[in-house]
Amino acid sequence: MNTAAKTFTAGMPVEVAKIEGELKKLWDQGGEVMTRASLINLAVYSEAPGSLLRNTQVISEITEDHACRAIVISAEPDAAEDRVEAWISAHCHVSRAGKKQICSEQLSFSLRGSFAKLLPNIVFSHLDSDLPLYLWWQGEFQDPMDPQLWSWVDRLVYDSRDWRDCDAQMRLVETAQNEAKQRIVLCDLNWTRLVQLRLAIAQFFDPPATHQCITDISRLEIDYAPGFRSTAVLLAAWFAAQLQWQLVDTRFAQLRFAKPSGEAVEAALTERDGEVISRCVLFSGRTELRVSHAPDADLLDVSAHSGSQQRMHQLMPAGSDEPVRLMSEELMRGGPHHVYLRALNLVRKFA
Amino acid sequence: MSQSEPQRQPNPLREGIATRNIPDACTVVIFGATGDLTHRKLIPALYNIAADGELPPELAVVGFARRPKSDDEFRAELQEAAGKYSRRGIRDELWRSFASSVFYHQGEFADADGYKRLGERLKQLDEMRRTGGNRLFYLAAAPDQFETILQHLKAAGLNKGNNGGWARVIVEKPFGTDLASARKLNRIVEKAFPEQDTYRIDHFLGKETAQNILVLRFANAIFEPLWDTRYLDHVQITAAETLGVEGRAGYYEGAGALRDMVQNHLLQLLCLVAMEPPTDLSADSIRDEKVKVVRSLRRLSREDVDVDVVRGQYSEGAIAGKPVPGYRREANVKPDSQTETFVAARLHIDNWRWADVPIYMRVGKRLPKSGTEISIHFKKAPPVLFNKESDALDHNVLVIRIQPDEGISLRMQAKVPGTSFRIEPVKMDFHYGTSFGKASPEAYERLLLDAMSGDATLFARRDEVEQAWAFVDAIEEAWKSDKEAPALFEYPAGSWGPDEADDLLARDGRSWRRL
Repeated sequence: MNTAAKTFTAGMPVEVAKIEGELKKLWDQGGEVMTRASLINLAVYSEAPGSLLRNTQVISEITEDHACRAIVISAEPDAAEDRVEAWISAHCHVSRAGKKQICSEQLSFSLRGSFAKLLPNIVFSHLDSDLPLYLWWQGEFQDPMDPQLWSWVDRLVYDSRDWRDCDAQMRLVETAQNEAKQRIVLCDLNWTRLVQLRLAIAQFFDPPATHQCITDISRLEIDYAPGFRSTAVLLAAWFAAQLQWQLVDTRFAQLRFAKPSGEAVEAALTERDGEVISRCVLFSGRTELRVSHAPDADLLDVSAHSGSQQRMHQLMPAGSDEPVRLMSEELMRGGPHHVYLRALNLVRKFA
Repeated sequence: MSQSEPQRQPNPLREGIATRNIPDACTVVIFGATGDLTHRKLIPALYNIAADGELPPELAVVGFARRPKSDDEFRAELQEAAGKYSRRGIRDELWRSFASSVFYHQGEFADADGYKRLGERLKQLDEMRRTGGNRLFYLAAAPDQFETILQHLKAAGLNKGNNGGWARVIVEKPFGTDLASARKLNRIVEKAFPEQDTYRIDHFLGKETAQNILVLRFANAIFEPLWDTRYLDHVQITAAETLGVEGRAGYYEGAGALRDMVQNHLLQLLCLVAMEPPTDLSADSIRDEKVKVVRSLRRLSREDVDVDVVRGQYSEGAIAGKPVPGYRREANVKPDSQTETFVAARLHIDNWRWADVPIYMRVGKRLPKSGTEISIHFKKAPPVLFNKESDALDHNVLVIRIQPDEGISLRMQAKVPGTSFRIEPVKMDFHYGTSFGKASPEAYERLLLDAMSGDATLFARRDEVEQAWAFVDAIEEAWKSDKEAPALFEYPAGSWGPDEADDLLARDGRSWRRL
């Protein structure tokens, strides 16, 4: 068994036409102490230089919790030479019972020049049959998007954080969705980034005593790290979408909303060094809910005050901004992401 | 949900992010706070839920026990236990945050004043922790203390929540020792807490694989059409332990395998395997269907017990190559004990689906291997083509492994490669641990969250418990009869039980599945 993946090379070079045969040999060598496991096909596509090895490392960690067949694709459509290369490897981890090694296989491809157009074919011909296909698209979508590919994708994972034009990108995604007859579930890692924060905020409004505060929210303050404005906007849009606030004004750093009652809500977004969202404060009447994320901490500090009285203090998991953790969280949670789509539709109006 | 409890308003910010039941703010009062269950299971479970961020901050945990001790001393004890038994260990800052919600209340179970003071303390905590006046009482004390505790809770007015809050009680098994005592216990509980606020805990139901039985049966279209007398040959349920009584002799001597395992765990598993699809996933819909199964279990006459039930007791033997003493030589066991450490039985469910499909059940201590599983044995293919009498094939068997190595496997026939037409059984195997890397939460985490959120689906209802006792009592009565009581067979520790257990199936041309 080739264990080269542990040192994060792409694995054993193979001819594209012989991949399945070489994979079989790989498993035959593994003997009975190794068990191949796969719950999904996870295809990762990137055009960033060095992505092949970076993603191999990411996949190695993801497969500790999520057994899959990984298809890692590094594409350079603008390369002068036309070339395709392939590698196979396995990521093995000792199972919880501690007896067997549980292994996920990885197929890696480098597509250069015109071979970058082979993406759908590469993906189609190497899927583990009957398992869902998750396509993790790293970077921005390019127009035109290949309609062939989308009809096979079950979940499309992307990160809207760096999108320069959210609306234009979403139009491309919608085209892809239409091609796939709406079958694709959209999974935005920028949304996943907010899961723990949203949990911390949402639970404050569970008890009947604080439930009323939800309709009385009059102001939000969100501090976000440089480069994460889109994350802060998505957070504000989540409040607006779920509480049926209408967008009134998006000028300056403030977003202004109108509640169904007609009352105004202001959301102040401030860039500040620190964690992705280092502070989110909600004002509702005399009650103030504050969620803070100290630098490098993995816990959120949640507190609520009413007047001068502290009503609660709690530590909750903060989640992580590392790609492995984000992707693992996304794979673990699943779901149709209807709430995300509602929030996203508002974000597009902000633009 | 309790009738007395105000309906929780939907929280729009919760949409799409709730992963488990959402617990209400409340005070959890544990009776028997210095006992093993509290240290090994309850506190580690509560800590783990808190560490996952799924406990409301408006929570208080009050330990009620006899010995005098301060809050800080109690917290220090629990910290040590949680560090040892929590599935993820503990983190200091998270423990400190959780421990600040933990309090100790000294009182005797039989002392009315202790409950009066508890009531005052709870009111203070309602205010301080903003628990909404909700109380969850956990009876983790010895069963003979339940009546005293419940009577005092009622007398002190603690069986009702404060200021419109709810009050619920979790009762640990055993729920009585026979039908009469179970009814008595239920009446006692009922006097203090209505049925909808009573949560009878059977931790088997909190296990992921037990819950997965319903998913396997009703989320897959391929099994249910085959799940009846037309296609099923028989079902086997096995719960095997390598352990002996391990310091529980005091309890076990009075209980035995039938009461300790069959009346609750095994019958619960049987219900999940045999029940009809519920109309929805609400607690009562599921429990309605489960109780119908227990009601349909054919009651065993004295003669039936002779023929269809085998009881055994382990004698000296070896486990994993190490000699172990016989049951009667264990500490605190009577030298002439008649307590069974093994039970095998052939059961019948008298309804349309299960007519003529026997259910074989066996449970035992000091067996060669630990494991709990259910195996569904399908009828053989017709005796033509590949299944002629001269070359009969095995049954297809679907196995649901409850513990350890939770998973599902399906045995089928395949042609051995080669020019001859040799057919051999092969196994398709799904292992939770292989496919899902993440460890499942402990059963107690799930069950505590459910009780705090008012979801009784995984708790036993009064009629389920009483019906199960009614079934088991018939066997006990036969065993206890003076005249010609069925024999208690010996089996050496490390064997698969007495030979008579094998005969039970051999008579029907069957054999126990090899674990």
